[in-house]
Amino acid sequence: MRALVVYCHPVEGSLCSAIRDAAVKGLSAAGHDVSVIDLAADDFDPVMSLDEWRTYMDRKIVTTPEIVRYIEMVQESHILVFVYPTWWSGLPAQLKGWLERVLVAGAAYRFTKSDRVRPGLAQLRRIHVISTYGSPKLYVRLVNDNGRRILTRALRMCGTRRTRTSHQGLYALDRSTDESRRQFLHDVEKKMLAL
Amino acid sequence: MNVLVISAHPSSESFIGTLRAEVLAELEELGHSVRHHDLYAERFNPVFSAYERLNHVGDIAEKLRQLPDLQIHVEDIQWAEALLLVYPTWWSGQPAILKGWIDRVLMNEVAWTLPEGAARIQPLLTNIKKIVVVTTHGSTKFVNSLEGEAGKRTAFRSIRLMFHKRTRCHWVGLYALDHLPIQKRGHLVIRVRRRVRRALGSA
Repeated sequence: MRALVVYCHPVEGSLCSAIRDAAVKGLSAAGHDVSVIDLAADDFDPVMSLDEWRTYMDRKIVTTPEIVRYIEMVQESHILVFVYPTWWSGLPAQLKGWLERVLVAGAAYRFTKSDRVRPGLAQLRRIHVISTYGSPKLYVRLVNDNGRRILTRALRMCGTRRTRTSHQGLYALDRSTDESRRQFLHDVEKKMLAL
Repeated sequence: MNVLVISAHPSSESFIGTLRAEVLAELEELGHSVRHHDLYAERFNPVFSAYERLNHVGDIAEKLRQLPDLQIHVEDIQWAEALLLVYPTWWSGQPAILKGWIDRVLMNEVAWTLPEGAARIQPLLTNIKKIVVVTTHGSTKFVNSLEGEAGKRTAFRSIRLMFHKRTRCHWVGLYALDHLPIQKRGHLVIRVRRRVRRALGSA
């Protein structure tokens, strides 16, 4: 199957970049055809412009080459893997904006004549979310994990009934040790083999 | 009351543009002191940079010298007694430009501090005692509840924890606007003004 890893972190060499590498390694070992989108390296601008907003309101699809390339990558992927740090219980703005600009009507979903939303990613079989958290797991559960919610609930609605979701989190980053981080990377790689 | 209004929409001719103008008019009638940032008009950069990540915890004065675009935002949030957000809900949350404002402005030594030896972070924005959110949703309330209302939770749980302990939250959410032509939204404008009036009272 084709797998797409969407990765968002400002610093290369960070733990998230190691997670990305572990995910790619695991997916390749499982025989998937893997592509990576690195939003920081692409210098992706997450702000939806006025022109784009108007295009959206006219129910047309955006046509800048950059966005079209991302849409094609999403539409041909059976597995989507997201790797990002959770900030303020949500997605980093750069990743949030990627959803807003790329997964538009006509790409990830469509509007019917009566303006109802219908899913558009029939090929999507799996959404897997991997994130790091500064806070401990209990705190994240109390305050809520909104990044995970957006990806495993809102985005899942663009798939089919057969689209499954899963999640791995490394919590309480400040208190993590080399050992626990290594273990997490190992777990990520192992999980990819089972997707 | 000192009210900080943060708005986020690419078009001032949108319904959010109308609501923002009405909210500002209402605040003026009520006699509050208002500071307003239109993040799109200011071309606010929402991307948390490598510098900010690497200096996540550090000397705040030096950080603001390196990040001059954040200086005014920090001053204004430290001045505010109420925070009022006006934005369209996209992908069940704040638009990227506003999420980035949260990511970047609510930084260490502004919104929170972690004293030596403390087990958890302590809030610093105890000057803020009210949060009002005015937001629009294309889909219905039911669909949004399935999707999990991420934006509401971000505002009223994660951010609020950095504010005063007794911060009151007021949700002015409008739903199912995909099915309501713009000519038929007059009653919603009146409702939003009434809700803002009740939330903040007169100065």
